[in-house]
Amino acid sequence: MTDERRIGVYICHCGGNISDYVDVKRVVEAVQGEPGVIVARDTIFACADASQQEMEEDIVKHHLDGLVVASCSPKLHTLTFRGVARRAGINPYQYTQVNIREQDSWTHTDNPAGATHKAISLVKSGIARTRLTEPLEPLVVETTQRALVIGAGIAGLRAAIGLADVGLEVFLVERERELGGWVGRFGAIYPHGRNGRDLIASLVDEVRKRSSITVFTNAELMAKSGSFGNYVAAIRINTDLPELIHVEVGSIIVATGFDSYQPEAGEYGYGIDGVVTLPEFKALVDGANGSLTYHGRPVRTIAYIYCVGSRQPGANEYCSRYCCAATTHAALEVAALDGQVHQYHLYRDIRTYGKYELMYTESRKRGSVYMKFPEDAPPEVSRDAAGRLTVTTRDLLTEGQELAIPTDLVVLVTGMVPRKNEELMSLLKVPVGTDGFFNEIHPKLRPVETVVDGVLIAGACQGPKNSAESVASGLAAVTQSAAILKKGVAELDPLVATVDADACTWCDKCIGACPYSAIEQVEVGGRQVATISPATCKGCGGCVPVCPEDAIDLRGYTDAQIRAAIDSMLEEPVA
Amino acid sequence: MTALVDAGLLADVQKFGAADVSACFSCGNCTAICPLSTNDATFPRRLIRYAQVGMKDALLSSKELWTCYYCGECSDTCPTQADPGGFMSAARRYAIASYDRTRLARTMYTQPLLGSLFAVLLAAFFAVFMYASHGPQDAGSLALFRFVPEELIHNSGVAVMVIVFLAGLAGVVRMARGISRQESIAVRDVVGSRAALGRSLRALWEALGIESIGQRRYRVDCETVQEERPWYRRRWFIHAGTMWGFLGLLAATILDYGLALIGVKATGTLVPIWYPVRLLGTVAGAALIYGTTMLIVDRLRRSNRSASDSTPADWTLLALLWVTGITGFLIELALYLPQPPVWGYWVFLFHVSVALELVLLAPFMKFAHAVYRPVALFFFALARSRSETGA
Repeated sequence: MTDERRIGVYICHCGGNISDYVDVKRVVEAVQGEPGVIVARDTIFACADASQQEMEEDIVKHHLDGLVVASCSPKLHTLTFRGVARRAGINPYQYTQVNIREQDSWTHTDNPAGATHKAISLVKSGIARTRLTEPLEPLVVETTQRALVIGAGIAGLRAAIGLADVGLEVFLVERERELGGWVGRFGAIYPHGRNGRDLIASLVDEVRKRSSITVFTNAELMAKSGSFGNYVAAIRINTDLPELIHVEVGSIIVATGFDSYQPEAGEYGYGIDGVVTLPEFKALVDGANGSLTYHGRPVRTIAYIYCVGSRQPGANEYCSRYCCAATTHAALEVAALDGQVHQYHLYRDIRTYGKYELMYTESRKRGSVYMKFPEDAPPEVSRDAAGRLTVTTRDLLTEGQELAIPTDLVVLVTGMVPRKNEELMSLLKVPVGTDGFFNEIHPKLRPVETVVDGVLIAGACQGPKNSAESVASGLAAVTQSAAILKKGVAELDPLVATVDADACTWCDKCIGACPYSAIEQVEVGGRQVATISPATCKGCGGCVPVCPEDAIDLRGYTDAQIRAAIDSMLEEPVA
Repeated sequence: MTALVDAGLLADVQKFGAADVSACFSCGNCTAICPLSTNDATFPRRLIRYAQVGMKDALLSSKELWTCYYCGECSDTCPTQADPGGFMSAARRYAIASYDRTRLARTMYTQPLLGSLFAVLLAAFFAVFMYASHGPQDAGSLALFRFVPEELIHNSGVAVMVIVFLAGLAGVVRMARGISRQESIAVRDVVGSRAALGRSLRALWEALGIESIGQRRYRVDCETVQEERPWYRRRWFIHAGTMWGFLGLLAATILDYGLALIGVKATGTLVPIWYPVRLLGTVAGAALIYGTTMLIVDRLRRSNRSASDSTPADWTLLALLWVTGITGFLIELALYLPQPPVWGYWVFLFHVSVALELVLLAPFMKFAHAVYRPVALFFFALARSRSETGA
């Protein structure tokens, strides 16, 4: 069968990126005689339109049924050349991309002969794989025109409104009795100075106006079944008589928010009268009537200690990014209440990024003093026998001088930590990072998508964000949902694992290896065997090597293809 | 050592006319551009920081307050327009007021109306006090010391001097103790050994001789911005003229008194212009009048950075010096006129009253820099020689 294949091979110069180190002509000569190769050429830029057209013409003219392009990383141009194959009538999955740039020319700039030899091996191996390719068709899934939003904070509320406005039906599930989350409890917030409660009230108002949004409060997601485009979510409504309802949805937007870091007793004096966290302080400032008081005492001096619970080796190593700006904003609020209050900001680093820099400058103009303490000598808080509250710190801008600041209030600038949501995490199967927040696929290129198709993340459940950034990510999740659902059908990569039911003995090892719960036990012809849901499988290949019977194969990366690729690479004698 | 923060410090210094240094973000451009800031004495940034943070003792114990001559380069190049030079100047006023425990200096600085009223009343008091014991106004010749008895002037002068000495000494001790603590200098480091003593004497010469009388750094390092001006219009020369004039007049007065004591020449005896003491007095008087007049002109024209912001304290000192100088010359004129005019007696009474006031108020006003600056320069010279010798 292999001799019947008609394969075209194209070796790219990448304008010198490859050809400066790899003798491209020699590679072409070396692979010309490989079994199945009908056409072998070099090209200056394989990805250029003219080159693509040339390949298409070759494919038609020579009746090719396989395509190999040796160029850059598959991350860059797999889809480009699958497109070439499809347009010329070859099944896109009979195309193989060989990476002779990142994996060869760029890494062996000191050894052109070796790089050329390696390129020959890599291309031959790609040809060997291509000889064994079979046509594959993408999985087409019909999608349900409904979305589920978990969490009705500012991100979830805005996402629900956005989904309704693009014509999707929405179920909005909130665990608390009230909608609005953190922002709903705040007074004026940065960057716009608008009142958080008012913002939430207007969003809730907009939600109520839209009949396509169904709101469940005191409600939790209990289970998720089904697969991409057609999930079934079980929602428990915790009233006097708890009720379990099931809804079918095409996408799920997780917007479960964050918890505020809670200092340990004694951490920077937490527990001492007069030592509060940032959210506690925010409530104090929001509730101030005319002047700032704490337990009835007037507040004349405030010391802020930044990065409490953040950027700690071995604990929360990340920066919570919102706290610096939130604190400078609160300091401006205090200055507006009473310009005579002395405010000392004790920081490790200040990051009032972007336009928030203006608040930082303004706060300094209003008398806030910023002091940088050394990372290895953080401030200490104490209250002496006479009841005087004092913060002792070193100021690096005053030659590291140790200073004792008598103060009325110490504000521990606490950051965001991930919500404790073990059940939700395990039922959604969305991975979390080392910081405990949900992980996106790519922070810039695919910022709201997760490895679970159709499950999107928005707001601070993904990582610390301010309200504006949370809203932006909520809307990004709306756009992504619309892209999946509005066509009514979605295509999925067919590169998934399949089980040979005849070989399977149902030892259940594969179930443990699958991170996506794609494998189920079924009965076929009276035998218990494994089956893999193609819509849920991500093609990670985790189940393939654990199967003792070799009953599982990964489409597009079959054992036979991989073995042929390796064998071909080993055939080439080392020069 | 831990410093206790005084949260109200900056606001307090600002009462002395400090620019709004809250705009300062401690970049240090001012220190970099300053022609006088050295490794042994860095300013202005560090001192601005002291004020922002609330380190009152450190600010008042900084010799660097007084090693600045306000050329204004720092203020011209400050990226946040925080006016470091203006701050230094205000901090010196704050220091003068803080070294004085009577709070008189503070009142003079922070309540200009009350301070001016006090100055006028004090001069009036001296005039009334002198006039109360006045003698006859001789019409034939200008017998000034019969009109206001020499004895009375002399005794009042001595009393005023004693008060000024004690007040000045208290301030200097307070300042010197502060700086010693800040710089970790013990008494034995100053006079404890022959080497230490030698070093201290050299530092004293540098502070008093080279820097104060000689105005070296003011003249050489601090005038880069004004090189286009003729020498007699430069800041250092105008200031030196004023100072040399004042010191010359002080010397002439003491010499004149000395000559009377040893019976060479009675006070008030008419002598020709070339008579050494009179010549010294005349030249010094001319220098004082030139200096103070130009200082006033510069301030009125705002012709340089330091003259562009004038406080009531600046005007009070200049006015007292200028009036003392001018009235002195008028008396000279009256004495040597062929027909002695009667106004000569009144100008004399006025001159004596203003001069007494000038001396009496010296520790409580800008004049005090004449003492505090040399003390700071002494510590500066000491720090330099200690860092050079590694002591």
